[in-house]
Amino acid sequence: MKISLNWLKEYLDIKDANQLLSRLTSMGLEVDTVTKLKRDIVINIDMTPNRADCLSVFGIARDLSAVYKKKIMQPKRVRLSKKDNSFIKSVNRKISTSYGLLLIENFDNTIKTPKYISDRLDLSGISRINFIVDVLNYVMIDIGQPMHVFDKDKIKGKLSVRFAKKGEKVKALDNNEYILSSDVPVIADDNGPQAIAGVIGSNNSSVNNKSTSIIIESAFFDPNLIRKSSKRYRLQTESSYRFERGVDPLLNDFALGRVLSIIKDHLKIDKYKYIQTNSKPIAQHIGKTVNMDLNIFDRLLGEKISQTFIKNTLSYLGFKPIIRKNKIKISVPSYRFDISIAEDLIEEVARVYGYDNFTEIPLPLNQRSLNLKSKKSINYFLDLLSSRGYNEIITFTFLPKDSQHNSNVKTSVINVLNPISEDKSEMRTTMMHGLLKTAKYNISRQNPNIKFFELGKIYKKHKDKTISEESMLAGILSGVNYETNIKQLQKPLDFYDLKGDLLSIFPNLSFKGVKNLDHMSSSCQSHILQGQKIVGLCGEPSLEIYKQFNIKNKMLYFELSTELLNLEHNVKYKPISIFPKIQRDLTLVIDEKISGDDIIDAVQRKSFNYMINSRISDIFYSKKEFGVNKKSMTIGLVFQDNKRTLLDTEVSEEISKIISYLQDKFNAVVRK
Amino acid sequence: MLKEYSSLISELREKLVNCSTSHDLANIKSYYLGKNGIVSNEFLKLKTVSPEERKILGSNLNNFKQEVQNLIIRKNTELSETIKETKQVDISLPGSNISIGSRHPVNLTINRVTDILGCYGFDTVDGYEIEDEFHNFDALNIPNSHPARDMHDTFYVSDMKLLRTHTSSVQIRSMLSSKPPLRIMTPGKVYRSDSDPTHSPMFHQIEGLCIDRDINFCHLKGLLTRFITELFGRDMEIRFRPSYFPFTEPSAELDIKFNGKWLEVLGCGMVHPNVLTNVNISSKKYSGFAFGLGIERLAMLQYGIKDLRMFYENDLSFLSQFKGLK
Repeated sequence: MKISLNWLKEYLDIKDANQLLSRLTSMGLEVDTVTKLKRDIVINIDMTPNRADCLSVFGIARDLSAVYKKKIMQPKRVRLSKKDNSFIKSVNRKISTSYGLLLIENFDNTIKTPKYISDRLDLSGISRINFIVDVLNYVMIDIGQPMHVFDKDKIKGKLSVRFAKKGEKVKALDNNEYILSSDVPVIADDNGPQAIAGVIGSNNSSVNNKSTSIIIESAFFDPNLIRKSSKRYRLQTESSYRFERGVDPLLNDFALGRVLSIIKDHLKIDKYKYIQTNSKPIAQHIGKTVNMDLNIFDRLLGEKISQTFIKNTLSYLGFKPIIRKNKIKISVPSYRFDISIAEDLIEEVARVYGYDNFTEIPLPLNQRSLNLKSKKSINYFLDLLSSRGYNEIITFTFLPKDSQHNSNVKTSVINVLNPISEDKSEMRTTMMHGLLKTAKYNISRQNPNIKFFELGKIYKKHKDKTISEESMLAGILSGVNYETNIKQLQKPLDFYDLKGDLLSIFPNLSFKGVKNLDHMSSSCQSHILQGQKIVGLCGEPSLEIYKQFNIKNKMLYFELSTELLNLEHNVKYKPISIFPKIQRDLTLVIDEKISGDDIIDAVQRKSFNYMINSRISDIFYSKKEFGVNKKSMTIGLVFQDNKRTLLDTEVSEEISKIISYLQDKFNAVVRK
Repeated sequence: MLKEYSSLISELREKLVNCSTSHDLANIKSYYLGKNGIVSNEFLKLKTVSPEERKILGSNLNNFKQEVQNLIIRKNTELSETIKETKQVDISLPGSNISIGSRHPVNLTINRVTDILGCYGFDTVDGYEIEDEFHNFDALNIPNSHPARDMHDTFYVSDMKLLRTHTSSVQIRSMLSSKPPLRIMTPGKVYRSDSDPTHSPMFHQIEGLCIDRDINFCHLKGLLTRFITELFGRDMEIRFRPSYFPFTEPSAELDIKFNGKWLEVLGCGMVHPNVLTNVNISSKKYSGFAFGLGIERLAMLQYGIKDLRMFYENDLSFLSQFKGLK
């Protein structure tokens, strides 16, 4: 809200403009921008939605009076007394509990708007229309009451405040026609709606220069109803903005009296009538009292604030405090919709005291109530991944419409009912999408060598309509292993790079080839296991996926469920042998279908004497040498005893046993 | 291999273990592989056996010779590596196999914040991103008429379920499931229907919550002032000013002065008694404070990033600028 310093000075004695600016902010009326003019300063205040009482110059002055500790001047006005209800047919009390009209006859709307009014409307960013409308807008900024004016000669019969009948139309002042539904409050005459209550008036009954007989409306409308109308028609006017936040329900005669007083400064008015209907209670908060212990101030604020300060502050703000012993009683003024409990008053006192004036007290040590390590430890593994060349990415958790169409999980896709755009309209059920898209984006930007990972959630809907979220760590690799090196040749990344990376970070994982995974190439896919538990999967994307994403570079993908993955890694020391190790290589020719794990598992399960390690160290295919469907595989074996140095003969003996075992089991032939 | 050779090999191994100069190694080498060395002598035996035996013995001998050679070569490499003067190295050439990736700046920022708050006893708690209206709104004293509940600002996935608009929902769940005293922090993704250079429909937040007996506004100020100093690594000019949130009362906003301008960095306040009541905590017995800050905003400030959308494009040229950070 923009206000003029000179205007504010009409209500409060302010000497130092800079001090004013800092006081406004420290009171919670945050100064956003300040524009210096020749003879005035325009202050733009960022108003929080709870402070409807400060949507006027007078309201701001009233709030500031507490920190300036000065009484404010009252606006000049004519005291109106109610005459009769003659012009009102009915008022629906759900819409308005306090409805006032000021009828003026023999009105001259041709006169020029006074300069001080038009200047100030310009400062506030409000366009000028004609004399009476300008005066109403001026008074709205002045004291906060939005008002509307009808041309009385264009009104047929009496006015009623009611809900619209379905299908009724209003040709509004913004030149749009609105078709109304039955929950929209309107002001209507015998011809139908003449205004959407509190939001906008109609063209049919609007005043112009020639109007000579006018009806000025000042009312209290239910904030929620106004908000609904405003949202429904996407119409936020100065009027609806104030009404939906809450306009002082007891301000009608004050506002109309203020209008009349300004009019009378410029026009001779001899014939006017004030009409007002109330139905009680006008608003729930009016007359409400709050009783509280004074010690709650200290307890919640942590600082001793004097009773005098509390009392004076609340008095300036209009709460009429009464202190008895250690208790204080206040009554809520009609313009404060935001006050209902003790804590609200504590804030009132604290903001006048100045938040910056409170001491900073260190937080006492406590016994920790929870100790959830998992988040912390996953972070450690993410650091390890990044030190192994992976860049962490974060992608949107919502994917384009129908992008998960082909998958088996289609029925488990959660759709956003009101997506911001089509490409962000369904929640991901896999991490693959974001990683592939990011890979593609970077490849197209001349960065073909990629190692990415993302930690994030996937979301699924189940048959019983429950929703689940699972935290995943997923990654993608493509390109060559290293950027140019001096001595070594670059090598395209393959499955073993992926496997090596994962094992370097989670040493207790194992891999088991499978055939039936979604989106994965049938020749390169694996479950990732921890012990017997499947904790993830990896491999190469299927051809359909390459096609769907239009990717021409080979990729490798992995995903791990961080909820299934056990990150705790307990170590129990095992005594080490001081005796030398004996290493032997064994090269076998075996059937192509036999996997490395088949051999290693067999050898390890059989537990040969002294054998402490075995791994595949080489693999070699040659149709010429071994025949069709055969391959040569070298196993590196390590032997050691923890009591003595082994003899070569002992090792040779074990090797012979291993050979004959593998001959029996796999039809393996030792390669000479 | 025959037992005889086996013991010869063991003997050789022992000698090699005790050998520490190339001179000694040369002696050992000539002892075994020299003209009249042990290996040559063994080969002489071939002449004395029958053709059948010769075949087996020959193969054994070859294995033996091979093993001796291997052991000596290995020792030689070992010695030469430790002993020889290295040729001049051009240390300006690039290092080999450099593979350093990076953590995402959003998570780097989350980690900074959680590292600091962790020192004050705050524990990280994770929660649901798809929430219901009770945990995201009602329990937080955000009434049905509050603008935040409009379809306009909140993404809904069903009549009942929505994408959380803040991580405060996690605080509600934590307060419902554990008794005070409570110190938690809740980093995570949040969603609001907004998209431009400074707003993203998905972004990250971290909120802190402290509930205990006799926690007051001065504690809130004490912690957050310290927090900002540690976060920025120096004393910053800061101010607390009154603000409005439905779930705190009094509410405040913390601004820092950055390049001569006040910037809003976090919202905070004393937990509203209605919120405590909603989670069955007595506001007579306990009090507490909560605070929340936008991670992207902080990261933009910290690293001088101008466009929020950079965070989700994941361009390697952007990401790799954060390498080496933890």
